[in-house]
Amino acid sequence: MTESGKEISKANALHLDDFSVKQQAGQPSASKYYGEALLAAAWANRSILALTADLTAPTETDLIRDQLPDQFIMAGIAEANMVGVGAGLARAGFIPFVHSFSVFLSRRSFDQIAMQVAYPKTNVKLVGFMPGIDSLLGVSHQAIDDIALMRTLPNMTVLEPASPADYEDAVGEALAHNGPVYLRLYRATEQYLRPDNFPSLKIGKVRCLHEGSDAAIFATGLMVEQALRAAKDLKQQGINATVIDCASMKPLDIEGILNVIQHSKVIVTAENHTIVGGLGSAIAEVMASNNIARPFFRIGVQDCFAEGGSRDFLFEKYGLTADTITMKIKQAITS
Amino acid sequence: MAKTIRMDVVRMVARHGQGYVQQGLGAADLFTHLYFQELRFDSNNPNWQDRDRFILSTAHNTAVYYSTLARAGLIDPEMLEDYCLDGSALEINASERLAPLVECTCGSLGQGLSVAAGLAMGAKLQQRNSNIYLMLGDGELEEGQVWEAAMFAATHNLSNLIMIIDLNYMQVEGDARDVAAIDPVDSKLENFGWQTMVIDGHDFDAIFASFEAARADTERPSCIIAHTIPGKGVPFLEGRKSHNMVLPPDAAVDALDWLENRP
Repeated sequence: MTESGKEISKANALHLDDFSVKQQAGQPSASKYYGEALLAAAWANRSILALTADLTAPTETDLIRDQLPDQFIMAGIAEANMVGVGAGLARAGFIPFVHSFSVFLSRRSFDQIAMQVAYPKTNVKLVGFMPGIDSLLGVSHQAIDDIALMRTLPNMTVLEPASPADYEDAVGEALAHNGPVYLRLYRATEQYLRPDNFPSLKIGKVRCLHEGSDAAIFATGLMVEQALRAAKDLKQQGINATVIDCASMKPLDIEGILNVIQHSKVIVTAENHTIVGGLGSAIAEVMASNNIARPFFRIGVQDCFAEGGSRDFLFEKYGLTADTITMKIKQAITS
Repeated sequence: MAKTIRMDVVRMVARHGQGYVQQGLGAADLFTHLYFQELRFDSNNPNWQDRDRFILSTAHNTAVYYSTLARAGLIDPEMLEDYCLDGSALEINASERLAPLVECTCGSLGQGLSVAAGLAMGAKLQQRNSNIYLMLGDGELEEGQVWEAAMFAATHNLSNLIMIIDLNYMQVEGDARDVAAIDPVDSKLENFGWQTMVIDGHDFDAIFASFEAARADTERPSCIIAHTIPGKGVPFLEGRKSHNMVLPPDAAVDALDWLENRP
């Protein structure tokens, strides 16, 4: 093979394989936590249809395509149409799960989602992969505003599980809810096991993952792991932080959130998303609406566009780390 | 019946002094055919699962739509009196406050065909023999989503999908051909894999034959491109391209006289 042939071959491999999961040579691929959960659900309920916009493997819908081909619809690179088709199928009595990258689903199809899914409450499940800045492919592929967009829509439920170990719960919750749901997922790079005492994911409920009385960290998605790390670091320094997983960003568990805030001196939010309009804004709204003032920090993309790069590089560069959370809480407590 | 519907259109718009009178008069013959010849529905059971579905993607063309629904016994004709009044379900853009008669809320142009395609695919998967009908304006062809959906429908052989394009070359900015190169609509759609028919949208025999041909095609979605004349039936309005036309009271009286006494 020529030098240029190698280049082409590499490019194809990237395109045909997986955009967000770095595969180590010789290692078995990580489980398709979402794909398996959807496949099991689709076996049990033949009204479930999986639609995808030319991103079958990256959205793990290849399992449905290969095992339940009658329940798989290739919609082509046309997200707006795919959402409309999904709404039509829902009106005919099906339960369409509509897949793409989060950025395309939310930005390219926002009007279609508003008018054909949210307003009429059609039973469409919108499933976006590659959340926030977790993408090698740069700003075009980075969904830094999807939570904000989806959260503003009446009738929409917005879920971002903390880890692939939650995906089975997330699919179950989405199905149990008769109406629009936006699921924000990332692909597994390793095996995820949920600890026995880990509470299950529920629409409209926060989960307390760690308790402490000095500070509270409200986190979602990939930032839950960072929040837990921060809590561990802080504990070694004599500061006790509560870690709350806010997988259900809409509806919010107002009562659960207020209960935590009232018992905490410092509040930090952590999200893989712009700090405008996402989890940080949601928690600020809860505090302001209930006349609660606390030192308050939003960890996330600081109202800017990022760039293409690895997760570790970008999270470090844009401050989406346990260290940033730790630093903010220490500053607030010692000042 | 088309005459009655046209008179309704004039009266409904005249009450407000302005509205979608030209489009309504232009599409009255198509609506008459659809609701009195073509669509299968049960006025006693509007949720009938096997009904044919009709989506008005140009959701603003409601004077003619609501009048037709009333004359077909699907809504109370007295409701027409409330057309566009605050609080009325007969909004100027049809919304699913009138569900299930309004099968989905359009108005944001370009979206109807995608939903229709989903409904058509759903009916096929469920092996129902209902057809999905959709009326689109020609200006709406400028929306890219229409062409996404056109490709999708052909790819999936949605032969139970019948699109009617109300081709009057009229959009807000004037003549659609001056705004965008929408012509030739028929060969564009043919090249997208559709069966197409170009007809005079006021010739009932041609309308009838085109729907027969659309239903007969078991491979492809069909598109009936119906040339219509804005203001049809009222000589002094015919051909006037005005999207949201002012209709003064004396003009309305005159228009009703033409429709009633000088057809």
